[in-house]
Amino acid sequence: MTAPAVQTATDGPTTGEPVVGFSGVNKSFGPVHAVADLTLTLHPGETVALLGPNGAGKSSALDLLLGLRNPDSGGIEVFGTTPAQAIAQGRVGAMLQSGGLMEDVTVREIISLACALHPRAYPVDEVLATADITDIGDRKVNRLSGGQEQRVRFALATAGDNDLIVLDEPTVGMDVTARQAFWATMRRRVDEGRTVLFATHYLEEADAIADRVLVLHRGRLIADGTAAEIKARAGARRITFDLQGAIDEPALRALPHLVGVEVSGATVRIRSDDADATMHAVYGLGLYPRNLEVAGLGLEQAFLAITDAASAEEAEER
Amino acid sequence: MKTLIKLEILRVLRNKKFMFFSVIYPPLLFLIITAGTDPKAKLPGTDLSTVAYFMVAMSAFGAMTAVLMGNAERIAREREKGWVRQLRLTALPGRGYVTAKIASAATISLPSILLVMIVGAAVKQVRLDAWQWVAILLCSWAGSFVFAALGVAIGYVASADVARPISMIAYFALALLGGLWVPFTSFPQWMQNIAQYLPARPYAALGQAVELGDAPHVKDIAILLVYLLVFAGGAAYLYRKDTQKA
Repeated sequence: MTAPAVQTATDGPTTGEPVVGFSGVNKSFGPVHAVADLTLTLHPGETVALLGPNGAGKSSALDLLLGLRNPDSGGIEVFGTTPAQAIAQGRVGAMLQSGGLMEDVTVREIISLACALHPRAYPVDEVLATADITDIGDRKVNRLSGGQEQRVRFALATAGDNDLIVLDEPTVGMDVTARQAFWATMRRRVDEGRTVLFATHYLEEADAIADRVLVLHRGRLIADGTAAEIKARAGARRITFDLQGAIDEPALRALPHLVGVEVSGATVRIRSDDADATMHAVYGLGLYPRNLEVAGLGLEQAFLAITDAASAEEAEER
Repeated sequence: MKTLIKLEILRVLRNKKFMFFSVIYPPLLFLIITAGTDPKAKLPGTDLSTVAYFMVAMSAFGAMTAVLMGNAERIAREREKGWVRQLRLTALPGRGYVTAKIASAATISLPSILLVMIVGAAVKQVRLDAWQWVAILLCSWAGSFVFAALGVAIGYVASADVARPISMIAYFALALLGGLWVPFTSFPQWMQNIAQYLPARPYAALGQAVELGDAPHVKDIAILLVYLLVFAGGAAYLYRKDTQKA
């Protein structure tokens, strides 16, 4: 849960100019509003995690960003130009969740192709070494394990000197060691001043790696901040205790620094952004809480709390 | 782009089974269709021998088989697997992809055309001047690019499941109307009128004009060029516009 140091990308090639700008972007597939009124800006040197449950619109948002689809309305700029233009200039490298590989060719051949197509390519051997696939260079692409395939995709995305790296669920299918090695490589890229945007299911990855977290829910951006800020917003502390006798719920709801209260039987669960003050007030009410537990909220719980709240709001609007 | 073309050709050469059947099928069909034909027989109303007519028709047909059947389905599958999406994230222009696909298709069509011609000369005693052999080979090969482009376009319009039936229908209809199985001259007039403007008839007509000692007709070349532009342009457009979710 250590937030990485703030990036200083003063030596990056893109200082100042926003990397990505979405303004009021909408995209529907039939009745499904996959991306709804999305507005956001990514700055050079940021490491941004895109979080959201399945079907939240993460992949759709990335497709739009990469110009693989066109928005129904709204504007998308990448390095001040269209996504297609930015890609043609070799400024964007992307690793897709659904990115298939060319069959009947070897790993080295497919990477050579990626290097040949990139306007600012690295040497093939270097790309293979960085992705740790030098040893499987002569193997056919269709005979790889899931983790190896993932590393080949990563190599395709980083075959050249990109200013923005987009990764959709990059570590799916990797074991723990591979995942750590992967993020170590990514960190080096970030340290060189590149911007990294990744979608993930693994909240611990977002927590440990990203310096900014975007939470998408049903196509809407419902939170945008550091992992710490998002946790705070959801109520940084979870307080649980039991009470004997009748529970006066309205009194509990009036407690200070409250984010949420839930009573089930004799058990009270409270989310609070200042546990000390809240508990002080609990004692002030003359209550005798038993089995008291106070725990920090992980990003995962914070994430669930925020998406639950968003769903509840939507239900109320109807 | 050169690397992609090289790789696409390599992939075809490595796919030995596909290569074998695509190459062996046209000369076999040529032998079967002309099995009972007198080598001296002429097509009614022309100076062209029936066997020579079918030699060009079958090399055209073989080239069509190789480029249409192979390309459409493979491309539709590549699209579904998401390779095309990955490729679209590179600086490769749309025409690069289409060119590479046509080049790989042409790699298979060349040996199949050659084999039909060898069978024609060695088994069926077709006698032509050296320049005619070379000209027929070049015409049949260049003309096959039109159908390769059609294959790429079909691979883009259709999903992998229907790419094969669609290309089958396209290729049977075109082959039949082009007079590749039955002499063109035996068609009723209205069918001949239509066939002249479909791609397969002008395609076979190139080589058949050469067999008669003429240069290929400008009209046939023009029609084929228009089809090539439409198919290749359409395919390149679809490559860039492809919104099919993998």
